[in-house]
Amino acid sequence: MSKILIVDDDIDLVAVEKAVLQREGYKVVTAGNGEEGLAQARKEKPDLIILDIVMPVMDGYLFADQFNKDKTISKIPVVALTSYVESPLDQPVPFEVVEYVSKPIKPKDLLLLVNKYLKKT
Amino acid sequence: MTNKEPVAGYMPELKALKARLNVFVRMRWLVVLGIIGVALSARYLFNISFSTLPVFIICFFLLAYNLWMYLWNRRLSKDDTEIVIKRAQASGYIQVLLDLGILTVLLHFTGGITNPFIFVYVIHTTAASILLTKRRAYELTTIAVAMAALLAFLEYSGVIGHVNLVGFLPVTLYRQLNFVWSVIITLAVLTYTSTYITTAVAGELRLQHLKMDLLRDQLLKEDELELQSISAEVTRLKDERTSFIRLLNVVTHDLQAPLVAVQSCISYVLDGYAGEVVEEQKDWLQRGSRRIDGLLLLITDLLDIPRIELGQLKQEMAELSLNEVIANSLAGLDILAEKKGLKFLVELPEKSPLIIGSSRRLQQVVTNLTNNAINYTKEGEIKIRLFEKGDEIKVEVIDTGIGIPPKDLPRLFDEFYRGSNVESKGSGLGLSIARRIIGAHGGKIWAESPNPETGLGSKFVFTIPNKQNK
Repeated sequence: MSKILIVDDDIDLVAVEKAVLQREGYKVVTAGNGEEGLAQARKEKPDLIILDIVMPVMDGYLFADQFNKDKTISKIPVVALTSYVESPLDQPVPFEVVEYVSKPIKPKDLLLLVNKYLKKT
Repeated sequence: MTNKEPVAGYMPELKALKARLNVFVRMRWLVVLGIIGVALSARYLFNISFSTLPVFIICFFLLAYNLWMYLWNRRLSKDDTEIVIKRAQASGYIQVLLDLGILTVLLHFTGGITNPFIFVYVIHTTAASILLTKRRAYELTTIAVAMAALLAFLEYSGVIGHVNLVGFLPVTLYRQLNFVWSVIITLAVLTYTSTYITTAVAGELRLQHLKMDLLRDQLLKEDELELQSISAEVTRLKDERTSFIRLLNVVTHDLQAPLVAVQSCISYVLDGYAGEVVEEQKDWLQRGSRRIDGLLLLITDLLDIPRIELGQLKQEMAELSLNEVIANSLAGLDILAEKKGLKFLVELPEKSPLIIGSSRRLQQVVTNLTNNAINYTKEGEIKIRLFEKGDEIKVEVIDTGIGIPPKDLPRLFDEFYRGSNVESKGSGLGLSIARRIIGAHGGKIWAESPNPETGLGSKFVFTIPNKQNK
């Protein structure tokens, strides 16, 4: 079963995404900021990370720095969920595999996106 | 500085002083030529017999001394400190003193008191009066008269020899006390009178000069103060604007985040993840969802303002093919227009103009203008034209729609301004954002209604500076 890590400080958004993905049979782990996200990524070794860019404690950019340095996790694909303010066109987050999706995202679009990277088992 | 009293020793400007010292040097070159000329013509033209050797020796000394002064003045020109004025004045004093000495020696070898050139002392004292302070001028005048008198009386009493100008005047003239006294007194009267007149005139000139300087300083200072207060005001307004725009950025972002969450929650329910939704529930939820979509659109537009104003647009600028930008902007809009039964025409030049700009932002402008044209046109056609004209590139979006009432035209590009003949649609920020985007590209945007070419609908035009002409 594929494992997805959601890193976002908005608990309601996390709740919606988690519920949608779990119903589809994905295993979901969550983190409230970049620091927790890194720890979870190392511990859980997820197959995909859904990342918010603007977060407290450690934002998406700082997360990317640490993430890219750690070769045990740096190959994990990242979906960057951005609201308009953190538009990736201004300052791209330098992940190896990355896709930008702007918020809000409808449940079925989220699933389409996730399925692109993961095959349900 | 403004309360500076006119001082006795005030010298107008270093520049004037330097110019005068240079006049001294130039005069001296001529004087050497003059002395040689006079000596030779006295000797050979008028057959006055005296030894010319000492005259030439003195001329040689004068040349060497003048060369030194010439170089000294040049060095002085490169220095602009306060102390230079004092040094230049001291130099002027020493130069006059030396010139007086040289003249006295020259006179001694050319007939002493009987040489009519004895009155040349007046030139020296006049020069001193122009160049130096009153006190120094009188000092040098007294020295000049004293030197002349000393020369005359030393020769008269036989302490030093006397060179006779044989063939010019009676050879015993220098021993006639009446003659000696009359020459010395005439010389004294001439020099002191000249010094008196010259220092008075020079003093008056200096005073005027000083007043002018003070006035100029005062005016400059007033100008400067005014300029300072204006630039402080400009800075303050700029700061205020920047902080307002930052606030706008933060506020809109904070408004956006919860709306995104709300919209996601509603979608979750609407899409049936929280159990089956009956038709009536769906309707109500969709009503709410549409309003949130509208609000998110407004926030997106509001966020555009700080992004453009804070210069983020400039970072995106690159060399672009404008044809490509327009083609991208119109993707999907042709279908929208044809659905409404409108003709959709695009006229692009064969060779695309190259510009420096933000592709994303320019597309936003063209899309916005074309969208508006389609929205406000019931029948007829929509035409998008791109062409080069002089040093700019023009993009026109032309419709045959309802047009814009004349009273609305001037305020069309203001924030939240809506035409009086249209229903509210969109955020009301589209055109004001378009104005900011085009402004950031160094271009202009305006609307004409009715379109002067057809007398119908309206024409929106924007210009972008032509890169190739720069």
